[in-house]
Amino acid sequence: MRAFWQVVKIAIRQQLTYRTAIVAGLVTNLFFGLLRAALYIALMDNQGTVNQMTANSAVNYAALTQALISFLTVFGSFDLMKEVYSGGIGSDLLKPMSLYRYWMGKDLGKSLINLLLRGVLLLIAFNIFYPVELPTRVDLWLLLIPALILAWLNSFAWRFLVNLASFWTPDAIGIGRLAFGVSQFLSGFIMPLRFFPDWFHQLTLLTPFPSMVNAPVEIYLGLLDLPQILQVLGLQLAWFIGLTALAHFVMRRGIRRLVVQGG
Amino acid sequence: MNQVRLLFKMWSIQVRSQMQYRFSFWMDILSTMVLNGSYFLAIALVLERFENITGWTLGEVAFLAGMSELAFGTMDMLFSGYDPDQFSILVRLGRLDQYLVRPVNINLQLFGSKFMLRRLGRMFEGAAILVISFALTSIHWTLWKVIYLPIVFLSLVLSFGSLFVAGATLIFWTVQPIEAVNILTYGGNETITYPMTIYPDWLRKILTYVIPFIFLNYYPALYFLDKPDPFGMPSFAPFLAPAIAVIMLFLSFRFWNFGLTHYSSTGS
Repeated sequence: MRAFWQVVKIAIRQQLTYRTAIVAGLVTNLFFGLLRAALYIALMDNQGTVNQMTANSAVNYAALTQALISFLTVFGSFDLMKEVYSGGIGSDLLKPMSLYRYWMGKDLGKSLINLLLRGVLLLIAFNIFYPVELPTRVDLWLLLIPALILAWLNSFAWRFLVNLASFWTPDAIGIGRLAFGVSQFLSGFIMPLRFFPDWFHQLTLLTPFPSMVNAPVEIYLGLLDLPQILQVLGLQLAWFIGLTALAHFVMRRGIRRLVVQGG
Repeated sequence: MNQVRLLFKMWSIQVRSQMQYRFSFWMDILSTMVLNGSYFLAIALVLERFENITGWTLGEVAFLAGMSELAFGTMDMLFSGYDPDQFSILVRLGRLDQYLVRPVNINLQLFGSKFMLRRLGRMFEGAAILVISFALTSIHWTLWKVIYLPIVFLSLVLSFGSLFVAGATLIFWTVQPIEAVNILTYGGNETITYPMTIYPDWLRKILTYVIPFIFLNYYPALYFLDKPDPFGMPSFAPFLAPAIAVIMLFLSFRFWNFGLTHYSSTGS
């Protein structure tokens, strides 16, 4: 466990060296956040509420999803694939910890900095244009923390699993683009899931992806009552266990057949 | 003439090399279609609930999205050499120096250097959305409309291309790509896939007077779909697209030539 936190610490330090890039990226997130906000407002067009969502919560939905992009790496990551293709994976496997845990540590460090620097700063900047609301109930804050952690754990397990394709095929980058395109769409990142027709909304809830973005955002916005929140957290936990087990199973089979050339 | 032949030669080499990896090629096409198409799919799905967006039906929004995606995909295939992210690598690694010492025009080399066939995915996606639009709306076709449609398409391609060229020019000074440029290129593309009526006043003013995107897609769409103009622009507004494209292209290459004379190698 000490080695794990050491990896996290190094990743934090690494990520902090990109401070200017992080702040520069804020402008883009802010723009797309405002664009989405305008779109959601226009769609709702004085409809009052849509599935308990008011225009105000829709605007905040746009802000929050943009704030979470880099914490949850919504657009996907291809780092492990590149490590497999370059042969660097060889030295990763020599480390005295499992490949999964090592990459998880790296991802955690990076994500924490992104949550604090990019996430919080984005909400502050967004607040200049539209009022950003904070959860007013203490229990929401308390339940938001496990929801965020589970969202990140699910996102990491999913991304790790997709990256494992590189153990089998040289075309994993294309597979990754496709997989991350699907997860982006079904996670509620592009459009609030509650805006979709009910049949499609129900369909998305059968996948692990709403556990990655939609769940913490809906808790933050106060769209769920306590029993619903507990249910969502339970679902997040179940997907986390399932995805992690699957990732470990696939990883073990992948490592067994891995041939590192050079590196 | 020699130059044109050279350009086609460079393109054909790239097409051949990119087609070596068949599976990877089709995978790229598919993933590009899914990734970019998902934004329109989301709109199509929610319009089942909301019916229209500021009075625009699905078929009408599809016209905006289809034109914009088809044009952006085409531009992305042709202008990839100027893609700020790609161009930054060229400058950082000092490879641009190699280009500059060759006895061939630099622009010809850049146009020929990256012919990204996989951008076909985005073009297919845009074309499919446009077909959906034609199926769902009943455009009253006249001869002038048939002539003007490809002109609007070309104007969009050249305007997006100008932004890539201008974005690449900034790299001469910054070396690193500037994130905010993405707002103009990718952001600009997404902005014009929706009707301009959804935006707050300040943003629409920018899109009218600073970067006149409003005349490239929205006003032509009003003309093709016979929709009234809610902003009271002069009646020639839908026909400004080609003029704006030519001006943007001219200015961006002026800026490019200026930047090129100020280029100093990174020395790597």
